[in-house]
Amino acid sequence: MATLSNPLLTPTTSGTATPTIERKPSGSYGAPSRNPVSLRLYKVLSTNFEDESTKQALRTLSDLYSTSPSKGNDYSAYALNNDIEEEVTGHEQTFSTDSSIAQPSLPNLTESLPGEVASRARKNLRRDMENQLAEGSRRFLAALSEVDSRLGELQTHVAVMRASCDEAETQLALTNESSKMLLERAGHLRDERQEVEDKKSIINLFLSRFTLNAAEVEALTSRDVSVGPRFFEAMDRTEKIREDCRVLMAGEDGSTKAGLEIMASTASNLEQGYEKILRYCSNEFRQIGRESQIEVGLILQEAVVRLRKRPELLNEAFTSLSESRQATLMSSFLAALTRGGPSGYPRPIELHAHDPMRYVGDMLAWVHQAIAAEREFLESLFGMKSDMRMVGSIRKFEKGEEEEWVRDLMDSAVGKLCVPLKVRVQQTIRSQESSIVSYKIANLLQFYLITMYRTIGENALLCKTLKEITDMSYKVFYESIEMHSQLLERAPLDPDNPSLTPPAVVLDHVHILREIMVVYQSSLAGDEHEDDITAGFNQVLDIMVDPVVTLCIAIGEQKQKVRPRWDGGVYVINCLCYLQGVLSTFDFTVKKREQIQTTIDYRVTQLTQDHTINITRDAGLLQVLETIEKNENKEPLSRVPATQTASLQRSLRQFSLWLSGIEVVHSPRLAQLAVQKLHTKIHQDALVRLSKAYRTICDEVKKPENKYEAASTLLGSERPFGQMHLLQQIFGFDESDDEESESSDDDSSSDE
Amino acid sequence: MVLNNFEADATELLETYDFLMKFIVIGEAGTGKSCLLHHFTHNSFKDHSQHTIGVEFSSRTVKLGEKRIKLQLWDTAGQERFRSVTRSYYRGAAGAILVYDITSRDSFANLSRWLADARALASPNLVVVLVGNKSDREEDREVEWADASRWAAENDVHFLEASSLSGENVEAPFLLAARAILLSIESGTLDPEKAGSGVSYGDRALRRVNSSSRLSFGSFTASRRKGSVKLKVKKWIPGSKCC
Repeated sequence: MATLSNPLLTPTTSGTATPTIERKPSGSYGAPSRNPVSLRLYKVLSTNFEDESTKQALRTLSDLYSTSPSKGNDYSAYALNNDIEEEVTGHEQTFSTDSSIAQPSLPNLTESLPGEVASRARKNLRRDMENQLAEGSRRFLAALSEVDSRLGELQTHVAVMRASCDEAETQLALTNESSKMLLERAGHLRDERQEVEDKKSIINLFLSRFTLNAAEVEALTSRDVSVGPRFFEAMDRTEKIREDCRVLMAGEDGSTKAGLEIMASTASNLEQGYEKILRYCSNEFRQIGRESQIEVGLILQEAVVRLRKRPELLNEAFTSLSESRQATLMSSFLAALTRGGPSGYPRPIELHAHDPMRYVGDMLAWVHQAIAAEREFLESLFGMKSDMRMVGSIRKFEKGEEEEWVRDLMDSAVGKLCVPLKVRVQQTIRSQESSIVSYKIANLLQFYLITMYRTIGENALLCKTLKEITDMSYKVFYESIEMHSQLLERAPLDPDNPSLTPPAVVLDHVHILREIMVVYQSSLAGDEHEDDITAGFNQVLDIMVDPVVTLCIAIGEQKQKVRPRWDGGVYVINCLCYLQGVLSTFDFTVKKREQIQTTIDYRVTQLTQDHTINITRDAGLLQVLETIEKNENKEPLSRVPATQTASLQRSLRQFSLWLSGIEVVHSPRLAQLAVQKLHTKIHQDALVRLSKAYRTICDEVKKPENKYEAASTLLGSERPFGQMHLLQQIFGFDESDDEESESSDDDSSSDE
Repeated sequence: MVLNNFEADATELLETYDFLMKFIVIGEAGTGKSCLLHHFTHNSFKDHSQHTIGVEFSSRTVKLGEKRIKLQLWDTAGQERFRSVTRSYYRGAAGAILVYDITSRDSFANLSRWLADARALASPNLVVVLVGNKSDREEDREVEWADASRWAAENDVHFLEASSLSGENVEAPFLLAARAILLSIESGTLDPEKAGSGVSYGDRALRRVNSSSRLSFGSFTASRRKGSVKLKVKKWIPGSKCC
């Protein structure tokens, strides 16, 4: 539009042309206004131009003719003189303002003559207007043509644009077409990606579930992570994974590659873990082993529990444990033996080596206590609930794996002690001179052997050693008592000793026996069976008692030969009774006592017979009696020299004298018997036999075939006058005794 | 499952201890040594018990203040015939529970012999607690409390009466002895480091601390533990007749 308006305002031609065009209409107006027109003029003048549109029109008009403002003032001064001029001035003013841009074209007109413009304007108003209009139209045209050409141009542009738009559209369509595939593909890809993501998360889950993370692997394999909760958690995880994996592989798909790989890798991790536990355990064990008092940490306990799944590793760990325990126990045992406690208190055990019981007892007690501590340690190691049993009381050997381990470990830990213990005990046993002490030691060993059987089982090495040394100690003891017995046999006969009491050598021997029996008695726990008790001591009795019996009998016989007046029978009975008396205070000697009693009984019978013969002889009836018994020819006794009336009477007188003597109630020979009861019994028995003999004599005398004259006178001449009851009164027999004597009569007759 | 218990029940599960002490239980036959011990370890009366044969062993962990103490208890036979065997077990005992029967004057009369034996054979710092057992049988009493108390004072041993039937004061003698030993450890007269003292450190960590610097351990316990031990002591034998 700027371009279009420009031509209108350009002052080149139009500036000069405008006044000329305007002069014509004003000239033509001016001519008729003088007269007829004056009316009209007045009319016009009378008309009111005060309305706004008129004013506007006038102003526009005046602008058309206006010049510069200073010249405008001149025009107005001039116009004031004329009535009409006011109108023109107004026109010019409006015009000048309107064409102020066209100023350069007007000065020429205005400068030359003031008011000329107005007049010319009055003349040429119409033409000017028309020119103006034409000019304006031309300018419009020009401008429009310009617009037109531009529009044309624009149209071309638009056409081009459109063409390219079309092209673009086609291309768009094409692109669209082709991008559809892309989109499709992208969609597929997206789906795929989603799928892959899903798979990934599944795999991640799978992996996190079926593989160990770095920390766990580190815990399992690295040496930097110590065995502890974290490690155990990792172990648990590994185990869990393997378990799950096994479940998976057991499914219908069978074993998958992944499964196998997982199994393989976890297996290796697990093995490393176990290796680590092994290292840890071995290390701990080695450390624990060095301490005398031991306790088990929770981690170690757990480690052992875990290692149980790998028995071969566990065994390896146990090996190091038992090795170190062996060494420790050994050194503390040796320390207790030789060094004792701190500053020598408690005293070293070996200090009491001179007191064999204490020495051996202390050693065994030490071992026993070490076992108790060891047992507690092992129980806590395996987390076994203690059965609250007291050590020493009978243990039931349960069939548990732990129980077995405990036993094995105990066995090996304590087993090393066997050698020093054995050496010392054996030395002690061998150096004993007293068989009593030997026996005490043997019993002590036996006691501990039983205690150990109950505590650590019969198959333990220590028990075997104990058994060995117990056996040996018994052997030594038996040897020593056998030697005693042999010494007994070699004891010199002492023919000049008139004593009928047991000889000193027997007394000593029996004294030892008594001591040994006391020891045995005290070794009994009180819950043994009676037969066992008896059996347990038989060997000792056989060894110690039998030679005494043999010896006494032998001495009796030998000495009798050397000294006929010495009373061997009484001596033997005295010895045996003494022995029997000693044995009888101990219940477990019952069998041996029975044996001895038989011997005594036999000896007593012998003595009784001997004594009967003696007193019969003393009483003077022996010869008569023998003659009666020997009289087999049935020759009348009164014809036999020994029983002739005179000699018979002599015999009867002697009997009568004897009856009033002291020997009837007291036999000086039997007084030598240590046991008063035996004395009485033998004497009584002898008297019974004597009375029986007297009766035989009476009966024989009374028999008519023996042809004694005045038989009753013969018998009645001396006490007891042939009356048995009188004799029995003298002997102090009761009626009942009489019957007994008769029955014993029968016995003796049957014996004969 | 084991792991779950791992930390939570650690103290319950494991019998960790600060000290291990060896005790012997001695006295005439039939005074109830085994029953007393049984009640202490099993918390129940042992009926129809027979004479102990030789020596029996049991153990229990007790808590004294903040210390856990494991007691190794050797129950000995009172019968004369086992004397030679049981004497070997006195060796290195830190504490002795000397038991008599309040209903048997004889069991009281022989105490001196037992005490002399124990003093001669056990650890030099042996702590002895005299226990008059069967205190539930008041009607058969033959030994007056005052007599026993006087004897205990004269012989410098602790004394109390207990009943292994009713369980009265059954724990007290053991705790009393343990406490006395603990005090002598802290005062320095007893050194658990030395073998034969009848006492040894339990917890290995503690031992390690100790072996590296004994002084620091001493002051550490003296300042921190001593008071608490004393405090607890009053709590655990309420109404006990100990002097």
